[in-house]
Amino acid sequence: MGDNNVNLPPGFRFYPTDEELVVHFLHRKATLLPCHPDVIPDLDLYPYDPWELDGKALAEGNKWYFYSRKTQNRATSNGYWKAVGMEDPVNNSAGKKVGMKKYLVFYVGEAPSGIKTNWTMQEYRLSDSAASTSSTRSSKRRGHSKIDYSNWVICRVYERDDQDHDDGTELSCLDEVFLSLDDLDEISLPN
Amino acid sequence: MSISVNGQSQVPPGFRFHPTEEELLQYYLRKKVSYEKIDLDVIRDVDLNKFEPWDIREICKIGTTPQNDWYLFSHKDKKYPTGTRTNRATAAGFWKATGRDKFISSNGSRIGMRKTLVFYRGRAPHGLKSDWIMHEYRLDDNITDTNISNAMGEAIQEEGWVVCRIFRKKSHHKTLDSPIISSITDETRTQQMFDSCDEGTLEQILQYTENSSKELERDSESGTIFQPIDNAGMKHCYQYERFMKLPSLESPNSSSGQKHYQIINNPVMIAENDQGLVIKQVSETDPNSDYKMDSAAAVTNWAALDRLVASQLNDQLPEDFKQLVSFDDPNMGYCPHDRRHDDHLEFPTLRSSSSSINRFYHIPRQDYNSEIDLWNFRV
Repeated sequence: MGDNNVNLPPGFRFYPTDEELVVHFLHRKATLLPCHPDVIPDLDLYPYDPWELDGKALAEGNKWYFYSRKTQNRATSNGYWKAVGMEDPVNNSAGKKVGMKKYLVFYVGEAPSGIKTNWTMQEYRLSDSAASTSSTRSSKRRGHSKIDYSNWVICRVYERDDQDHDDGTELSCLDEVFLSLDDLDEISLPN
Repeated sequence: MSISVNGQSQVPPGFRFHPTEEELLQYYLRKKVSYEKIDLDVIRDVDLNKFEPWDIREICKIGTTPQNDWYLFSHKDKKYPTGTRTNRATAAGFWKATGRDKFISSNGSRIGMRKTLVFYRGRAPHGLKSDWIMHEYRLDDNITDTNISNAMGEAIQEEGWVVCRIFRKKSHHKTLDSPIISSITDETRTQQMFDSCDEGTLEQILQYTENSSKELERDSESGTIFQPIDNAGMKHCYQYERFMKLPSLESPNSSSGQKHYQIINNPVMIAENDQGLVIKQVSETDPNSDYKMDSAAAVTNWAALDRLVASQLNDQLPEDFKQLVSFDDPNMGYCPHDRRHDDHLEFPTLRSSSSSINRFYHIPRQDYNSEIDLWNFRV
């Protein structure tokens, strides 16, 4: 992750869809197929605090990507990740469920009394059906069943930022307001 | 377009064209206006008078990866030979500017301007607003001497090249980078929005919109600022009713008809300053009001408000529109099981560069030589 070699023209960035993360990156990792491009590092053994990820995980914009393993207790040296809300299914373009997406929030300190932060994680895993096929396939292929490759997850970590960064990719809120005010153009003001 | 061979995308999985405004202006448009060759034909020249926004999706496709924004160079032509107005009409409708132009800065200095346009179907002034949005970027080379540049520069730029980003107003529930908020239950979502929210921001906007709708519904009383004069006015009235049906921000479970905000019959002024939007009440509020506004309150949390407003607005979209903003369209997906990826390929290490755009601009062409020429972007 150290150098700045980018062979794509300016403006091309790693902006994977959920489907791409699951089907291309996660499924291939779990089934031991090579991933091209192999850009997401495996940080399974290193429970970094979210602010330590820069330079270690794949960084794009304010998001970091890395492979990890499914775990009940995602603890780091200075805190822990706590699951929030419901999991979302990840569907492929044909509408078939290929994975699940789980949301976690980082707490500084020791559970259960940690302090909530704005650090957020989206953890992608293969759906159970996909995982079971991939684990049998991988155990056949590798010949030893101790390693369960279905346990791989992809983590996307970012710091939730409540400021509006108007990067021009969406209608800014100001424009949104102006746009709704445009509707009033035809309404006359009283004298 | 050029980044594909035999219809297969040559953009590696997970990567898409997502330029910053700075890259659009400083790299692509600057090269374009100085007739420099742009390495890859990523951004096409499109005559905006000839194509409807929905046609542009096809014309400006990059490979076969799903896209939710499209980029093009356009050469502005004048509506009348002597005037300065730009002709932005197509066969089916027209692009209409909204809001005010925004300065685009790079390292603290102004590099260009962004104009926001909305596509209306039909003919002015009776067009029907669509959810197609265009950000039109123009270079701004005459920054220092503003007096002269406004007279001169404007005239020159009207005829020059612009680079445009076209997209549909997003549903914030089904976007590529859907924020965590969109995936949690309604109650949590409301709560989170509040947690993350500058106290009072949403109230102000809601109060403002509710205020407006109330004014519209009512016959002219003292203090009324808007009056519907025709059907169009009534239609917009409906739109504001949508805002009124938002769940109460205090208690998400309460019925939507209940009023939690005292109506204030004072006009509201919206102004922009360095901090963002400022909503200012022109005269004193009702002292009994639950949400008495300060004379001016800077709105700092547009992200939350954006989501709120957009989710409401998007509820009015027809289903097929919603589908298009999502990436569920099977026709748009690339083939992720492409066997070619099994070949051994060197892929360059990727690093984010939010700090500087310069590093993107040194692209060694000789690095494109992989076994299957994945990086051969030349046709």
